[in-house]
Amino acid sequence: MDWQGQKHAEMLMQIFLVFSAVAAFGAGYLMRDFRLMMLIYAGGVVLTALVTVPNWPYFNRHPLKWLDPSEAEKHPKPQVSNITSSSSSKKKASKNK
Amino acid sequence: MHSAVQRANTAATIAAILLATICAAASFLDAFNSPSLQAHVQVVKINRFRRQLDGNDEVKMTLKMSMDLTSLFTWNTKQVFVFLAAEYETDTNSLNQVSLWDHIVQEKERASFQVKVPTKYPLIDQGTNLRGKKVGLVLHWHIMPISGRMIQGKMPLSNFSLPDSYTTRS
Repeated sequence: MDWQGQKHAEMLMQIFLVFSAVAAFGAGYLMRDFRLMMLIYAGGVVLTALVTVPNWPYFNRHPLKWLDPSEAEKHPKPQVSNITSSSSSKKKASKNK
Repeated sequence: MHSAVQRANTAATIAAILLATICAAASFLDAFNSPSLQAHVQVVKINRFRRQLDGNDEVKMTLKMSMDLTSLFTWNTKQVFVFLAAEYETDTNSLNQVSLWDHIVQEKERASFQVKVPTKYPLIDQGTNLRGKKVGLVLHWHIMPISGRMIQGKMPLSNFSLPDSYTTRS
């Protein structure tokens, strides 16, 4: 998944689970059946898992643009500059005193 | 949220927390159930009233009971344990409670019944104080829920007096 997809998946997960819990409790209370509440809730949890856990293509609609390997060679990683190296040696010298 | 396993872990954790919440809510609503039950008990006869070999009084009797426990059941009730206690006072103990009969009711449909039974457990005193004693019969119940804490209650029923002298088995 991409970043947008992850955010979307997490939001869907929370909404689905809370809705399952509320629907299960309501149905169980109205029908006076504890077992019914458990069954509805279990069904809701399974449905949530099916929707949010696997890497569906729907969650990958804003894919990241990773740099092409051939492009990366044209822009090498910057070297550690002289300024920083001299300051670090200055620090070392002061420590030794 | 980066891998499927992490998402599955998050979903399982939230699901478990919500499960605890709905069970707590179901248990909480039980507190608003105000039961109104009916019960009646009558001592049909005293089968045996004697002094045991180790010195304690013992009474066995036949009871005729009718009760309606349906209002104790909610959707969150697993079973109701009901027992009949004989309560009386002696010189050494201000309150003696002895269970004479008990029953487990697991379904609301079977919560209303009448029985005529000999006592399951004899009334055995700590001593020899039962001759002529006035004994009160109290119905106790424990409601065991599917989720939540157990609820106890009791209801005093009729009184009766034991004979002044020991009887032999009739």
